[in-house]
Order: sequence, then C-alpha cells, then structure tokens
Amino acid sequence: MPDASPQASALESTQKSIAFDQLELLAEMSRDFASSRDMQASLEKAVAHITEYIQADGGALFMLNAAGDKLICEASVGATEIKGLTLPSDQGIVGRSVQNHSAEIVRDVQNDPNFYNKVDEKTGFTTRSIICAPLRVKDERIGAIELINKRSADGLFSEDDLRLLETMSASAGLAIHNARQADALVEQEVLARELELAAEIQRSLLPEERGDEFPVHGVNIPARTVSGDFFDFFELDDGRVCFNLGDVSGKGMNAALLMAKTASLFRCLGKTIHQPGRLMALINKEVCETAARGMFVTMVGGIYDPRSGIVRIANAGHEPPLFFSESGDCTAFEAEAPPLGITTFLADGDRYPENEFQLAGGSFYIFTDGVTEGYQADGSELEVAGLINILKAGKEKTAAARLADVVRVILGGERAIRDDTTLLCLEDRARLPAGSGPATGIFAEDAAGDLGVEILNLEVPSQPDRLKLVRNAIAQAALFTDCSDETAQDVVIAVDEALQNVIRHAYSNQPDGKIKVTVSRTTENLIILIRDYAETINIETVQPRDLDDIRPGGLGTHFMREVMDEVSFLPPPDGQGNLLKLVKRIA
Amino acid sequence: MKHEIREEAAGVVVAFEGDVDLQTSPDARKVLLDCVRQGKSIVVDLSKVGYIDSSGVASLVESFQSARKGGRNLVLASVSEGALRVLKLARLDKVFTICDSVEDGLAAIG
Repeated sequence: MPDASPQASALESTQKSIAFDQLELLAEMSRDFASSRDMQASLEKAVAHITEYIQADGGALFMLNAAGDKLICEASVGATEIKGLTLPSDQGIVGRSVQNHSAEIVRDVQNDPNFYNKVDEKTGFTTRSIICAPLRVKDERIGAIELINKRSADGLFSEDDLRLLETMSASAGLAIHNARQADALVEQEVLARELELAAEIQRSLLPEERGDEFPVHGVNIPARTVSGDFFDFFELDDGRVCFNLGDVSGKGMNAALLMAKTASLFRCLGKTIHQPGRLMALINKEVCETAARGMFVTMVGGIYDPRSGIVRIANAGHEPPLFFSESGDCTAFEAEAPPLGITTFLADGDRYPENEFQLAGGSFYIFTDGVTEGYQADGSELEVAGLINILKAGKEKTAAARLADVVRVILGGERAIRDDTTLLCLEDRARLPAGSGPATGIFAEDAAGDLGVEILNLEVPSQPDRLKLVRNAIAQAALFTDCSDETAQDVVIAVDEALQNVIRHAYSNQPDGKIKVTVSRTTENLIILIRDYAETINIETVQPRDLDDIRPGGLGTHFMREVMDEVSFLPPPDGQGNLLKLVKRIA
Repeated sequence: MKHEIREEAAGVVVAFEGDVDLQTSPDARKVLLDCVRQGKSIVVDLSKVGYIDSSGVASLVESFQSARKGGRNLVLASVSEGALRVLKLARLDKVFTICDSVEDGLAAIG
C-alpha cells in the first residue's frame, strides 16, 4: 500500500480520537496516577483529553476540599487559565452541578443567575455556553469538570456533548477515587511500618532477661503495637540493682513517646542518684515541665542492695506493689504521692516518700492494671486476689516461670488483652535471709562490700561530749583523702547525726555504750561504718521526716540521706547491735 | 559553747560561740527560751558558731515558734557558712529571717 495521503492520515487521527472512549480515559488516567503518582499532572492530562475530545475552547476541573465547603480549580486548559480559582462549593454552575449530582448545560450563560462572571470580567473572554458534569463515585462528591464554548460558529454545546462529558467525568471520578484510595493505602502502610519501627525501638528499651540468678525479672505485653507500659533494671558499679515499672496514661504513640522519655530519664539519672524518692522527684519535675497536658505516668522505682538485702522503693501513684515475705505474708505498698507529671508541689519537699524493707528471702512484685484488669478464661477480671493466688501457687517455681504463669492466664482468655500488661519481680534466691549469713568479726566484708583502705578506726563511749572529738577526727580523715572542704563538712554532718541517733535512740542516752567508727576509702568512695551494740532497731522508725512539718527533732536522718550518696543499715554481725554504712562519692 | 546576751532597744542579741551540738544545744535552748519568756524579740548571732547539728537547729525552731506564739520575733544574724549549710539542709533558710548583720537583725525585729 502506498503512503497514506494527508487526508487519510487526518481521518485516521479523528477516528483514533473518537475511539478514545470513556473506558480508555479511565484506563489512561489510572495508568497515569499509578505511574507518576503525580495527581496534578494526571488531572491536567485528563482535562486536556476531554476538552480536546468534545472540541471545547477551554476546560477546567474543580475538586471539593476536605471540608467540603470550597471548590478549587486543580487543572485548566484552553481559553482561560483559572487554576487555583476557589469558589464556595454552592456557587456557580460548577457548584450547582456538584451539589445536585447532576450534569448541567447552559446555552445562554450570560443570563444564568448561577454564572460566575468575575472570570470573564477579568480576562475579557466571553463565555457563551457551558457544560458541566460532576465527578463522583456513588455518593462521594469529588468535584466537577466544566467545559466552555464549543469550537463552532455559535459556540454552543449540544445535549450529545453533555452526555459525552457526563460519561467521561464518571470515568475520571472513578480514576481519582482509585488513586486516592491507593494513596491512603500507601500512607497506611508507611504508618504501619513506622509503628513497627517504634515498637522495635521500644522493645530495645526493655532490659534483657538475665537468668535465674539475677534478682530482677520482668515481662511486658503491649495491647497494641506500641506500649505505654515499661519496666527496667540495671546494675550499679557497686552491685546494687535499680529497677522500675511504670504505666503512662493512655495508649498508642503519644503514650509510647512519654514512656520512652520517662524510662530514659530513670535509666540516666538513676546511675548517679541512688535514692528512689529523690530520683523520682527529679523525673517528676522534668515530666511536669515538658509533658503534654493531661498525660501522666504512674511508677514504682527502687533500689536493691544484694549485700544488705535492703529494698528501698518510692511509689508515684501506681497500683500498690506487693511483697510476699518468705513465710507467705503479703504486704501492699500504697502510693503516698501523685503520679509523675501532675504537680511539682510534693508534700515531702523535693522527694517522693520512700519505703524500705528487707527482702529476706521474700518476693516483691510490681505490676500494671493491665494485669489485674486482665480477663481470665471465664471472662472475669483477674484482680489483685487472682494475681496473689497465681503467685502463691507458683512459689516453688522460678520467678520467670511465675510471671509466665500470670501472662498465660491473661492471654488464655477468649478476649483480646485490653491493656498493656507488665509485671516485674524482685527476688533473690541466691541470698539467704538476713541474720543467717556467715558474717563474723566487727565489719563483715561480705556484708559491707569492698571497703578499700582503712583510714581511721576509733571507739568512743555513748556520750554527747565525745561528738566534737569524733567530728574533728572525721573532718581530718576526710581531708586526708583529698576531698573538698565542702565534702568533708557534709561527711562530718552525717557522722555526727548518725552518732547522735545511736546515743539517743539505740542506747537511750545511757552513757556506757560502745560506738565504733571506721573510715575507709576506695578509689571512688569514702565509706564510714558505725557500729553499736545496743538492741537492733526497727529500720522503719528511722525514716526521714516530713520537712514541711516544721517542728524540733527528727531531722538527723534527713540530713544523712541528704548529704550522703548511700545510707544503709547492714545486717549486724553476730546478729547483735546495729551497723550503719554511710558512703560519700569523692572521685 | 559560750554565749553572750546584750540588751538593745528593739530586743536582745544572743551571741553563741563554739559548737551547738547534742552536748551544748540544751544550754542554747534554755538561754533562748528564757529570753522568749521575758517577752523579748531576739537576734541570734551565729557568726561564731562553727558547727550546729540537728539538735541545735531544733532548739532554734522551738524558740522561734515559741517567740511567734507570744507575738515576738526571732531572727538569725551573720550566720556562719557551716551553720548555713545545715539550715539549708533542713530547708529552714526559707523559714527563718536571716540577716547579714546584727544591726540588720535589730532593724528586722524592731
């Protein structure tokens, strides 16, 4: 066949153009949206196609904004450039078409009351005839396509043009709808991936199980991908173990972020501040300053000394943790202060109230309400009583196995877990109950830990007039270790107060008691041991007092705790008397 | 520990010298409470007190509360560094009026 004549070629092109029916438009737009994901460019292409196909002077595509109150021209071709033009969604011929879900033809535009003539006024273009068809999928309004002036002598559209536009708009609407859904799906996938990453980071914030020998065990099961619960534990250089368990109000990403912040603060500050009450007051201050309004964290934080067996905890508005003594008695430690993030005005000045007890072969549990409010197999809530039963029944098992028992009950129910579920157990099977240790001699090494080099060792009778002598000796001993004057002064205050307590309380002002004081130093610490031979006192009675309660007396213990890094009672050697250990960091 | 009492128009100045500790604080307490009982406002001069312990602080608090109850005042003046450290530990630096000098103290109670 010879080369096609120009006429034949033009005919072929027209036929091709006519063959570009609505199905092809749909296919083309969908391909465009899928390949470029540039909605704007695809819309312009679609408007150009339709304008060309129906032979109009100009065409414009309007989309409804998210609020549904405005129509915005997203693409325009031909006679006038009106891209960006914004109309109230019930105005103009476009508005009418969108509102009524109906195609519109206006052959005498200038006399139509709905005609928005501002464009003509501005551009000098004369609009004679308009056809407009809505873009929609089922009842969802998307926008409308409007064509202006037929390219013919009278410039008027026909009913056939309108029907064509209507079918093509339907296809375009479907393509836009599909593209939007695809975008939403992609967005959802991105979010899901990010959530998974957040969950992974969150899991990495939880400590690893350290085996049966380690005193702390924990478990955390998020109700959603990320969790508002957390627990943590870590060892200090001197062998003591810090631990905490917390619950952020709410669930989801905001709770997870506050959880990450609170857990990080505990871990970071907990390495230098070893008094849980003070540590939590500091975290509280930080959370109060920066937390989003209305969010708070309940938390129990504590420190355990494996050598003395002493556990010290502070409870900020959390479910009371439970202590089971070796004989099976159960004690709950009610919160005496509000959750973190509520107020910086604490009743106890700058610290949360603390509780101190001997672990002595017992087990200590902290848990979130996800545990006690967890559903059992029969649909009822576990509650504290149910938890106690499981823990008691598993007394002979390892701590990790006991925690697994609790989780199994909560996960075993028909219903999905409703809240993040977190438990922590502190138990030291490796350590014998207090008093049964092999401590011998005045300062049993294994109880007091590494004492380093001895600097001073003195003994005085329990008489107030010897305090000045001791103060002078302690000041000189402290300065001997090259510590600052301020540090020496603080150490003197603590030792003086400790001796006062011994004279007044342990010996009840009897002048014939014996008090031994030993000062020694390691590379980092100055360690003072104070030993008496009076009746062993109940540690509970030597709590620091409430400083807001201004009254004489009871300040000494507060002073000691304030100026020293550690104040702890050790099990007295031979089970007789008291042994107090004071540590001041000097390195 | 020694002490000196000086009568002034505004009240009395009680100056302690030495350590106020478990041994000496009962004396300090008695001196201060005697002045309170005589209906005097007091300036406690702590410039020569190198050390004060919790029992000494307790004596100051008790005398302060007793003075206030009788409508009198008790202020601390020229507090030594060592004593101030202890008052701060007890958060009492916010409770007591602490004046730089005895003169300021007399002005405060006057």
